[in-house]
Amino acid sequence: MKKQLTLLLAGGMLAAPATAIADPVEITVWHMEQPPHRVERIQSLIDEFNAANPDIMVSQEPQNWGEIYAKAPAAVAAGTGPDMLFAIPDFAPILKDIGALESVADFVEELDGAHDFVDSTVEAYSYDGGVWAVPLYNMTLNLWYRESVLEEAGIAVPTSWEEWRAAAETLTTDDQFGMGLPANRQLYTDQTVYSVMVNGGASEIYNEDGTLRFDNPETVAAYEFYNSMMEFSPPDAPSWTWGEAEACFASRSCAMVMQFTVISTYENQAEGDASDLGVAAIPTSDGSDDNATIAYANAVMLLSDDEARREASKEFIRFLLQPENYGRFLNMEPGLFMPVTADGAMAESFWSDPMVQEYRDQIETVIANGQNGRLFGFTSGRVYPAIAAISAQNVLAETLQSVVVTGAEPADAVAAGQDRMADLSR
Amino acid sequence: MNRPLIAFTFVAPALAFLAATLAWPLVSAFLLSLQNVRSVGTTGTWVGLENYQYILANAAFWRSTGLSFGWVIANAALQTLLALLAALILHQKFPGVRVARTWIILTWIVPTVVVVMIWRWLFSTSGGMINPILIQLGIVDRPVGFFATPESAFATLVFINSWRWFPFIALMMLAGMSRIPSDLYEAARIDGAGAFKRFTRITWPLLAPTLTVLLIVGTLLSFNVFDVIWLMTQGGPAGGTRTLPVLIYETAFRSYRMSEAATIAVLATALLMSFAVLATRYLARSGDER
Amino acid sequence: MRRPLRWSIALAAGLLVLAALIGLPFWWVVSGAFKAPQEIIARVPTFFPQSFTLEHFEKLLSASDYLTYLVNSVFVSVLSALVTLVLAIPASYAFFRLTFRGRETLYRVILLAYAFPSIVVLIPLFATFARLGLVDTRLALVLVNVAFALPFAIWMLRSFFASIPREIEEAARLDGGAPLTVLLRIMIPLTAPGIAAVAIFAFVTSWTEYVFASVMILSDAKRTIPVGFSGIIGQYQVDWGLLLAGASLAILPVVLLFALIGRWFVTGLTEGAVK
Repeated sequence: MKKQLTLLLAGGMLAAPATAIADPVEITVWHMEQPPHRVERIQSLIDEFNAANPDIMVSQEPQNWGEIYAKAPAAVAAGTGPDMLFAIPDFAPILKDIGALESVADFVEELDGAHDFVDSTVEAYSYDGGVWAVPLYNMTLNLWYRESVLEEAGIAVPTSWEEWRAAAETLTTDDQFGMGLPANRQLYTDQTVYSVMVNGGASEIYNEDGTLRFDNPETVAAYEFYNSMMEFSPPDAPSWTWGEAEACFASRSCAMVMQFTVISTYENQAEGDASDLGVAAIPTSDGSDDNATIAYANAVMLLSDDEARREASKEFIRFLLQPENYGRFLNMEPGLFMPVTADGAMAESFWSDPMVQEYRDQIETVIANGQNGRLFGFTSGRVYPAIAAISAQNVLAETLQSVVVTGAEPADAVAAGQDRMADLSR
Repeated sequence: MNRPLIAFTFVAPALAFLAATLAWPLVSAFLLSLQNVRSVGTTGTWVGLENYQYILANAAFWRSTGLSFGWVIANAALQTLLALLAALILHQKFPGVRVARTWIILTWIVPTVVVVMIWRWLFSTSGGMINPILIQLGIVDRPVGFFATPESAFATLVFINSWRWFPFIALMMLAGMSRIPSDLYEAARIDGAGAFKRFTRITWPLLAPTLTVLLIVGTLLSFNVFDVIWLMTQGGPAGGTRTLPVLIYETAFRSYRMSEAATIAVLATALLMSFAVLATRYLARSGDER
Repeated sequence: MRRPLRWSIALAAGLLVLAALIGLPFWWVVSGAFKAPQEIIARVPTFFPQSFTLEHFEKLLSASDYLTYLVNSVFVSVLSALVTLVLAIPASYAFFRLTFRGRETLYRVILLAYAFPSIVVLIPLFATFARLGLVDTRLALVLVNVAFALPFAIWMLRSFFASIPREIEEAARLDGGAPLTVLLRIMIPLTAPGIAAVAIFAFVTSWTEYVFASVMILSDAKRTIPVGFSGIIGQYQVDWGLLLAGASLAILPVVLLFALIGRWFVTGLTEGAVK
């Protein structure tokens, strides 16, 4: 999206409504950033906002991704839902389905004018003639390694699948696994599988007419490759989530991992030597340099019908996206959450964090890798509601499991995966 | 004084409570199974028995049913075995037996979430204790992925669930054993019966009623175990631990088919009910003989 | 009564295995909570901590509302245990001693409560609670926990009542005692250990419950320990040190509780006895 003239208006909009009367509007935000230090950071921003806006009273209730899929629709249906709810793209359609969302296209346009969103982050929430959530932060998968480990083994950072496999093989020794890759039926595996797919020309799950095109030679090739990498991965990989991959890397049991970030674990639980930590884009099948990756644009949905509460929620989101606040918001987990706005990517508040400064090179690489971010089921404007169930049921990961765990032929597994998607789209 | 009325006032509060919290939701689940509701909070239309036709023809349902049977049987076997051994040990007299009897229960009083986390960590290849021990003992030479194959994940979960429950059952058995009059053992001893014979002739037959009760309730409870499986494997890998409760949760909250989930639930309930009715009838009969 | 040597050895070996099976995991968790992060994820784990730190506990206590969770858990569990007793004692007494039509059928129906997947009632119950304004209240958890503990509690109690000789009760009744008086004056005092055991059963059922607590409670200030604990398991990172510290603190209260009343649970069970 282009920056628009609304930029000029943005300043005026940021001023809080002058009519501060009687009771403040009380609004609640639910998010899934539950680790204590993140909650603490969000609270400090909320406190600041509440102090500056006496007519609004924001409070937060951290939730858990494990339960939110059951809890949010139930709570919304029962009228006990929040005013703002954080989301990832595949979660939004569920709430849209039960009629809890109204398009926020105008609001996003206003914010885009002020801060210039990364296009792909808005795209993930734009379908059915509306925009259903406001992007807040981005997460992209990258390839992490230690410079010294690669050097010692005499290998360069892989850029093609062939090199990648060769590197993993060389790096696999008696007490080290070359490449830590998950094969769990879980979101993390969806992410790693798709990151491989997208670098092998299989980024689309749907054809333009809404029919499925998951079952194609590129997808099969990606699964074949992924499966061939599993022999260099720890034996408990079929039960991995993000944490295990990080622990494996931090304890030097894994030479390379595919992960959003390992920075804070590396800093706190491993040697923490910034100059030795390497990060690269995920290799492409043919070694070309148009590397892509999976990008998770996290966003916030507005759930209240009440105009005053809605307006108050918007005010809070405007506050969060202000460059002077936005960096502190992102750095609730330094190195994990990347800016979704152009001015956020340059914000002093983002780069001034001590850990961000220490790992500046790595973070710049991560942001650069994120420019070509995709998300399965949310590409090229081909978004269909069944993607919510396909994501929630982890069909990509399920397909991988039938190859890795039960030894099915990749071609058969992918065909079965497409059948499963079709069944979920009934 | 009207006796039946008094009896009724004694029973009514408990019955009313159970009806409100359990029976009514069950009725609404049945009604839900006759509709085509998708995600929570939406409405559907009546579709009669369509969901039942679909589910009964669905391979995933039958696989889960089979797994649930396996789950119940494996848990019952392992828990009975472990609990019986523990109960026999704790039934002896030795210094510190009181302490042992009290603290054996530790696994059962810890929140399931914590149990899951403990074992997830212990079985993991990064930092977990189990793999290094197995390697040091020379049982394996590379770390083992306990949740890597459907079979091993299933077995590991059975172990974890049994680990949590067997002490409780052991205490229940111990309770049964302590009611066996000790002069029976004395008499047997005087007759020259060995320890094994005393067990098979006295302990086992007199313990049988307790075991039957525990087995029935244990079956119902372990059939319904959801949190341990869900938090540990989410039914994976490759659906190898997707028992019926997991399938129900998944269908409702991952596939967003509330009505289909309700259908599976109703079928599972019918299955368990028939087991429970048969079992309690058997119990009632053996109770009369007493 | 002397035991042959080989039996003593077998007994000692059995005890050792039992102690290891139950004690070792807890030892690793609690000792791990004091290890430095690097040592926790070290490739060769240590049996005894080589490092000592309180940082995990500090982090846990400074940033999460552990005390609030604890208070909530205690509140919900104690109340659940009490309500369970209030409902279960008269019911099981009636089932055991008073005769009325349909008694056996009703008794069996109550046991059938365990026959359907508890996950089934989650959604209908959520909707009902929402209508009654009970969502996001600790009372909702009490209701759910009582529903799960009640049938087994009735079952356990009935067999405790069964162990009281009929003559004692008959005598009281001949003296003109109404059923309620007999129950309060004679039966409850005589089965007190068993009642204590049932109360502890209900308490623990409630203490360990996770699924309903995680869905029914919306706000942080009302969470119980299991739900609060699951909250510190990060989505994208796992801080084992924090988790181990959290696990240790989640175990601690019940361990303290059992240090005080654990004996009653065992004596209650063994003296009340299940048929």
